[in-house]
Amino acid sequence: MSAMPMRRTWLRSEAFLLAVLVVEIAIFSRTGTQFFSGTNAMEILRLSVEIGLLAVVMTPVVLTGGIDLSVGSLLGLCAVCFGKLWRDGGMPWPAAAGLSLIVGLTAGGLNAALITRLRLPPLIVTLGSLSLFRGLAEALTRGVDNFTGFPPDFLAWGQGYLGGVVPAQAPLWLGVAVGMTLLVHNTVFGRALRAIGHSPEGARHAGIAVERCTAVVYLLSGLAAALAALVYVARVGQAKADAGTGYELLAITAVVLGGTSIFGGTGSVIGTLLGVAALAVLRNGLQLSDQPGELAGILTGALLLVVLTAEVVFKKFSARRRGSSTLPASNSPSNPASS
Amino acid sequence: MNRFLSLLPALLVLALASVGCKPSAPDTAGAAQTKTGSDAAAPAGGGAGKALTIAFLPKSKGNAYFIAARQGAEQAAKELGIKLLYDGPTEPDPAKQNEIVETWITRGVDVIAAACENREGISTALRKAQSRGIKVVTFDADALPDARSFFVNQATPEGIGNALTDEAARLLNGSGEYAIITASLTAGNMIEWQKAIEKRNAEKYPNLKRVALRPCDDLKDKAFAEATAILNANPNVKLLMNICSPAVPGAAEAVKQAGKAGQVKVIGLGLPNENKRYVKEGVTDTVILWRVVDLGRLTIHVAAATARGELKPGATQFTAGALGSFKVSGDNVLLGEPFKFTKDNIDQFDF
Amino acid sequence: MKRYGRELSVTASLGALLLLLAVVAPAFFGRQQLLTTLTAAAPVLVVACGMTLVVLTRQIDISVGSQFALCSVAAGLLARAGWPMPAVILAVLAGGALLGAFNGLLVAGLGLPSIVVTLATFVTWRETLRWWREGEFVKDLPDRFQWLGLGQSSGQLFILLAAAAVFALLVYGLRRSAVGRFVYAVGSDREAARLSGIRPEWVTWGTFVTLGALVGVAAVLNAIRFADVDPKTGTGLEMQVVAGVVVGGVAVSGGRGTLWGVLAGVLLLACIAPALVFLKFPPQWEKAIQGAIILVAVAADGSRRARR
Repeated sequence: MSAMPMRRTWLRSEAFLLAVLVVEIAIFSRTGTQFFSGTNAMEILRLSVEIGLLAVVMTPVVLTGGIDLSVGSLLGLCAVCFGKLWRDGGMPWPAAAGLSLIVGLTAGGLNAALITRLRLPPLIVTLGSLSLFRGLAEALTRGVDNFTGFPPDFLAWGQGYLGGVVPAQAPLWLGVAVGMTLLVHNTVFGRALRAIGHSPEGARHAGIAVERCTAVVYLLSGLAAALAALVYVARVGQAKADAGTGYELLAITAVVLGGTSIFGGTGSVIGTLLGVAALAVLRNGLQLSDQPGELAGILTGALLLVVLTAEVVFKKFSARRRGSSTLPASNSPSNPASS
Repeated sequence: MNRFLSLLPALLVLALASVGCKPSAPDTAGAAQTKTGSDAAAPAGGGAGKALTIAFLPKSKGNAYFIAARQGAEQAAKELGIKLLYDGPTEPDPAKQNEIVETWITRGVDVIAAACENREGISTALRKAQSRGIKVVTFDADALPDARSFFVNQATPEGIGNALTDEAARLLNGSGEYAIITASLTAGNMIEWQKAIEKRNAEKYPNLKRVALRPCDDLKDKAFAEATAILNANPNVKLLMNICSPAVPGAAEAVKQAGKAGQVKVIGLGLPNENKRYVKEGVTDTVILWRVVDLGRLTIHVAAATARGELKPGATQFTAGALGSFKVSGDNVLLGEPFKFTKDNIDQFDF
Repeated sequence: MKRYGRELSVTASLGALLLLLAVVAPAFFGRQQLLTTLTAAAPVLVVACGMTLVVLTRQIDISVGSQFALCSVAAGLLARAGWPMPAVILAVLAGGALLGAFNGLLVAGLGLPSIVVTLATFVTWRETLRWWREGEFVKDLPDRFQWLGLGQSSGQLFILLAAAAVFALLVYGLRRSAVGRFVYAVGSDREAARLSGIRPEWVTWGTFVTLGALVGVAAVLNAIRFADVDPKTGTGLEMQVVAGVVVGGVAVSGGRGTLWGVLAGVLLLACIAPALVFLKFPPQWEKAIQGAIILVAVAADGSRRARR
């Protein structure tokens, strides 16, 4: 398969999502109070960094045909570890932050080990670690402890504005997003991930170190959860065992909305970024239009179905027009790591 | 390709547009009432003659307790001719509360009335709101004092803890084993209540012993299962104390099905309507709560008065229209003591 | 022996847990506790049976908790509107089947990934219900609602018998009927199934419809244990059910697993929460223990297969 048709596929779902985003902005500019303003754009950016970090790093996981349901719980665990190390351990915050990143990496390592060494399905492994990490966070704090009163120079990372305009956490996210885009789209490693997603056996025959590559994406995912935990604590100013509940679903929604196939093999980081933006704008715009929060949930679900349906319908349509007799294999769920 | 690209966003436009157009009707209705209701202009935000916009933030939506508070808030909004915004997280979540407050700051409202899931967590956002000229009052659960003007105080954690512990001691004649069912181990206000209960227990009732504490995830069905297990695992437990509202009917059903009605007492914090059946059957002894509808109503009165400069620091008395007069202690507007709903009075309440 | 390895290991774990309880806390086996544990597990088992069919065809449905809540509220509202209970049951069953058919249509008809489709419907149904009911209990139900008006002990017996009947029917159906073999065939090799004359789309769609109908049945079996309906009921059910199915040895890659394993898996998970109360475990460890059990159960199986 040449690279060209694949690139066109990404462009297509990205263009569609961009259209959705434009439509959202057009509508909310009319219905939402103060929606169409630079300040609001920056607020949307600021509030979507945690989900954005998780989603951007979830993209390569999904590219390999895997999934990581444990990121929300891991965010909670890392937040609590950070608070505990800083307050009870008496560490300066940079040291506590560094150790929390290591906790995230270790937890990602646990997922990676179970998935690659024991060849267990990622869905099941991370379903288990979702309970485990949240449980550990609760056990560490007896559910009760709430860490607050962090030093101002730490809180500035989540509450400050650079030059009074740009949220302080935005450059961090931008850096991760650019890094992941380069990693996924411009390196041999990124190509390997896509190959694994298409066919793990094929990738192995082609000489790709399937286990090692797969392990790396789960490690990255753990690291991203830890990073998101720090941003969360800095923004909200507290760390508690329930931090990040349900974030995994929001991140996955953004990834899938961005055109990455849940079966692996195709997708792009840019698409994910657009997906994050589409969801964040939807929530913000509905609230500024004085609409109840439930509607955001309902429309998120609907948007997901519409975008997916559009893609499939379009694929069939274009395949027919090209006169090709074979429809794309639209339904071939495969779990690379399960036997 | 182009056909699909243009068709689907168009459908989406339709869906969203139908949503976007909806609020216009109540808006005009609210504006019409304003002219009769308010003569003072809002000092913050809107110009003269414009309706005050008050944003009302519950800890979570889809919770009967806050629905009742909202009823009161809407009643007050009608009385005062103001525009009421009601939104909150779908599950109690401090980060989402922050997000909603931030968005209200962008939107521009005159007052934010918040029930805080987490004191420290939300105070950051509320302080920011104050710095942008938005008045902040809190109700149900307070923020840090410098993050709001007034707190509409329905009962302190001590008040609730004491009322529950005293009632338990009264029903058990001062000695015996009891168990607590809570919503989740991480819920902020419940942690404070547990501490208050523990303190009161240790200070006043040395023979009262808590033998179990179980979370029910704020689900009635799970509270039922937990209560059954507690009763069977601890046959000496003579009282179930439920500090989240779905747990009260859940525990009552468990006691009833175990055939232990009367032998095992059930008390808790809950809404009269959800518990009427069990209170009348004699399964649940006492439900403790303040008048939630009045809490919502008073909060909006306090919010409006704060924005209009009618309620200033140092006041000792506040009159909330037809609702009556309330004591102000420092920066707390006091709703009054927690109320005990029993067999004798529960029928008088509908919320 | 090897073929039913997971079924045996899960049953052994369940046995070990029960043995421990028998020694440390024999009160766990008191009549009332046992009946409550089993009647609470019965609806979960019914949903898990349906989920097994779906997972066997290589799909998953994470919207079951939301469907369950919709069905429960519908049952309460219909009963309060004066419908006789048999009609309520049929209506809820049909409603559940309809919700399942919608998922099935998108998955089988359009070929969308089931995990994403049901993620979307999971959110949509739950939020719609919250918007509509605002968390209010469905109260003042007629007396014929709780225990179907049969009284507590007959009602409990009815729930257990109904769940057992569903289980037996599905065990028989999967094992002996042609349709059951189609399910396994589609899950293990879709193309081969197609070539041998099976219509995989219809089989997949059918499993979703069946699951939806069973969710309706389960919602009724759960709701009639109580005097009113909590609209938040079923929150987290998808986790319980998927965990039960997976721990019970059904492979998420499709085509492999038995209902007997699922029965053991569901019972094991259903016993853990009350068992922790009886063993006087601090509640903050509960989630960590549940997660660890799932991981250990699947890891044990995984390491055995990896060694082979």
